[in-house]
Amino acid sequence: MAVIGEKLVKQLRTTGVKSTVAQRLDDAFTRWNTGLTWNDVRGVLRGDPPAKPNPRVKPHTESFWYHIRPTFYHEAVTTLYPTFRLGLLSAVFFTWEIITGLFLMIFYTPSPTAAYVNMIDIMTNVPFGKFMRDLHRIGAEGMVIVVTLHMCRTFITASYKKPRQFTWFTGVILLIITLFLSFSGYLLPWDQLAFWAVTIGTSMADAAPLVGREVNLLLRGAPDIGAGGLLRFYLFHVLLFPLIGVVFVAVHYYKVVRFGISLPPDMDAVGEDTARKVPPEKRVNFLPDIATNEIMYAAVTFAVLAILSATVFAAPLENHANPKQTPLHTVAPWYFYWLQGLLKIPHVIPFLPGADSFFANGLGLTPKVFWGVIVGPLLIAVLFIVPYIDPNPSRRYGDRKIALGIGALFAALILYLSLAGRPLGVPITGFGYVGGDPAVEVGQHFIPDEGEGVIKEMSFDALVPGTYDVIGTPSSGSAELDKMIEEINSEISSRKANADPLGKIMPADAKGTVAIEDIQVDLRKFTLFIDYTDAKGAPQKFEKYIYLHKESGYSH
Amino acid sequence: MLKKIVTFRPSFTLRILTGLVAFLFMLSVCTLTYVADITTTLSERDLQFRGRLIEQGARYYKDQCARCHGPEGKGIDGIAPGISNENFLGQVEFREVDGQRVIQQIKPSKRLAELGYKGTLRDYIRSVIASGLPIKSSADWADPHPPFLDSYGGPLRDDQVDNITSFVINWAQAPKPDGESILPPPPGSGGAPKPTAVPLTADQEAGKQVYLKAGCNACHAIKGVGSQGAVGPNLSKIYTLSAETIASADYKSKVKDQPASTTPEDFIKQSIHYPNAYIAPQCPTGACPAGVMPQNFKDTIPAADFDKLVAYLSMLK
Ligand code: HEC
Ligand code: HEC
Ligand code: HEM
Repeated sequence: MAVIGEKLVKQLRTTGVKSTVAQRLDDAFTRWNTGLTWNDVRGVLRGDPPAKPNPRVKPHTESFWYHIRPTFYHEAVTTLYPTFRLGLLSAVFFTWEIITGLFLMIFYTPSPTAAYVNMIDIMTNVPFGKFMRDLHRIGAEGMVIVVTLHMCRTFITASYKKPRQFTWFTGVILLIITLFLSFSGYLLPWDQLAFWAVTIGTSMADAAPLVGREVNLLLRGAPDIGAGGLLRFYLFHVLLFPLIGVVFVAVHYYKVVRFGISLPPDMDAVGEDTARKVPPEKRVNFLPDIATNEIMYAAVTFAVLAILSATVFAAPLENHANPKQTPLHTVAPWYFYWLQGLLKIPHVIPFLPGADSFFANGLGLTPKVFWGVIVGPLLIAVLFIVPYIDPNPSRRYGDRKIALGIGALFAALILYLSLAGRPLGVPITGFGYVGGDPAVEVGQHFIPDEGEGVIKEMSFDALVPGTYDVIGTPSSGSAELDKMIEEINSEISSRKANADPLGKIMPADAKGTVAIEDIQVDLRKFTLFIDYTDAKGAPQKFEKYIYLHKESGYSH
Repeated sequence: MLKKIVTFRPSFTLRILTGLVAFLFMLSVCTLTYVADITTTLSERDLQFRGRLIEQGARYYKDQCARCHGPEGKGIDGIAPGISNENFLGQVEFREVDGQRVIQQIKPSKRLAELGYKGTLRDYIRSVIASGLPIKSSADWADPHPPFLDSYGGPLRDDQVDNITSFVINWAQAPKPDGESILPPPPGSGGAPKPTAVPLTADQEAGKQVYLKAGCNACHAIKGVGSQGAVGPNLSKIYTLSAETIASADYKSKVKDQPASTTPEDFIKQSIHYPNAYIAPQCPTGACPAGVMPQNFKDTIPAADFDKLVAYLSMLK
């Protein structure tokens, strides 16, 4: 009959207390370290070369976490080039988002009546709250950048070629998941910025032929975004997309272990892949070299993110979402500018307006549906098939002039469309510019409906109550206000002198007036008037105002 | 150079050191943020958002409330009481307590005490705005308070009602003198119409009906007569007002063929038939707009009715 502790008693009897404790501790230590003994670990920390056979590969068979990492890399891929550590950094950002996201989740309720109040609460009542929010936001935007760069690098080094086609394929899924994660999180603060960006985004789904209405209903839970839509986006953001992300990161990682990281293109013979056939002297073991390298990268990334969040970066929070009021010039998040740019292409076949009616009558295709709903997703879908349509077996830069050229063109196209997606449009060609009445644009320039604006950021004391003509040399009694009035004046003058890309020009008799009133203690109203005569000869008065509280602190 | 950078291989020690330094850096940034948060930045940010919400409130107040309560909350005779005065708000002050700025009540609201309301002033204001009042508390007002919260059939969301409340309460730092505001009659005076000082004659009573039928009350208010808004001047004392207008130095008619009036009755007639002959300077929400009052009453109101209307308006002294 086995008595509990029988073995222990026996060991105590035969070897004594001291040696038993030492032995037991060593066992526990070894188990915790998945096969590495205390001496092995000491060797690692001292930087000793491994013994033979190498005990440091044991964890790779003993433990799940090590099992999904390779035992060794080829020396040539452990420097910055060729990976630039961008795949690792993608994973670091993903982890970072999960950690900070969990923190935010504690204080967040996905309901239109609570979400915005929660946001304010997180910033004003929760120690660390604003910090975490900034970290989560900067991490989200950073992740989009890092993942995109990682894709660019695997394209440039042709790492998508045989046998890594499927690695690339899962990568594209991860890119889409990254974009969707960012986008679904965008709605959660429930401010004007979020609400309208997401309304624009999902209205694209609405325009899709045949299933558009149903897809839109599924996403929003109702014809318009409301309580149902917020809850759905929340569940996408914290459950569905992360889950898909985790699954595909696992597959992606598995593929990387399976095939090894591809060597720099000119090291292999054309058509050959020796990433897993590494001669012993070229091996760099995961433990301790790769592991410490990765931990270093992670630590530096975290530190940089923390410093940025604590200093310059601040996640925006505009006014409470208001479905009844569309702010002028609403834009999608920057990583979807390219899609917004596509939506601005005026005709199905550019420069051929005549064909529009043919497409509209015959196929029900409007330019928006064609470019936004069909071409937009196609641009992403094309990425999936890159490894399968590239017929060139060579990974060398010199042999891939065509592929690299097409890649560069694609990048340039996305960049051009992104520029066009902004309200200002592309600098020289003017494509994508949206702008209404010049007076309205001046108003928007100085007092935007939402977001940062120069008037908002003026110091409260500079807002001296009074009425001032907008002229070149104002004398309001405050240097800062004088400067602002001067700026308004030069903006009005330049719009009188130059027509905007749509040919609209400010009437020559336009005259601005600035009025600042005291409304309450520490509350002032800044109004900009522009009087002008319109093309029909009728007098017009444009007026835009903003209330500013002394404490509201937009400037910092 | 570039090649050196991209093929640089940090030594084991360098890796451990860099990682450690970065980690400690992050820890200290976190600690500093935490300390800053609990000592100052949280409360600073609290004041910031208080300010921003008041800004929003000011906007909604202008859009929704100013037409009845006036742009400065002083109230409009016959339409709504003042809500920016000391009688209603009492007074508050910012004080330093333990190094933090907090708001303290230095004078209580007399109105709240009078009403015997059990909640706070904030609760009272919020509930009046949110649900409106089912009946008016005094015949002084044209209509009972409209509801504003969407769940009571109003146009505003919860947060908007909150912001307006913050804005109204913010007057309490420097409340308007009671003397400049319309004060509500004491509670309990009820919703029954007050007996008018001078009973209306049959003609005048008929004139009042013309006034209502022609839709004048869409824009004008007369004390004790229902009104839907305050676009045009308050007509509660239009006769006296007209007399003052024609006596003033800068009074002249701006419409050709319409000489300046010499009697208050003429002025009233002219004001209805030719609204642009003279633009009244002061409307409830600011300077009077020209061309807003319909120009076609001389065609739509029959002469007999018109005389009764003028008879009615002429007794409002
Ligand atoms: C249609 C005109 C009208 C509008 C619009 C209106 N009010 Fe009123 N308000 C009144 C009247 C009439 C009363 C007095 C009601 C009573 O006592 O029966 C009143 C009373 C109040 C009171 C209580 C005052 C007291 O002394 O008890 C507050 C507070 C108030 N209003 C705030 C507001 C705010 C804030 C808004 C804008 C959201 C607003 N009101 C819009 C007509 C209006
Ligand atoms: C659409 C809104 C509107 C309607 C309806 C309207 N008015 Fe007016 N009324 C105004 C405005 C605005 C003014 C001030 C500008 C002016 O003097 O023309 C005004 C001015 C007046 C004045 C002059 C007040 C003064 O102090 O000089 C009188 C009298 C008057 N209205 C009577 C009436 C009568 C009677 C009716 C109904 C038959 C009526 N109004 C219908 C908007 C309106
Ligand atoms: C969340 C997103 C992603 C994560 C966490 C991730 C992670 C990784 C990691 C750790 C590697 C190892 C090599 C390296 O560090 O560069 C890798 C390799 C690779 N990734 Fe990704 N990746 C992601 C997205 C993508 C995307 C968007 C693509 C392309 C569309 C992609 C394609 C590849 C390919 C082809 C390789 C093999 C590279 C080689 O063997 O040289 N990955 N990925």
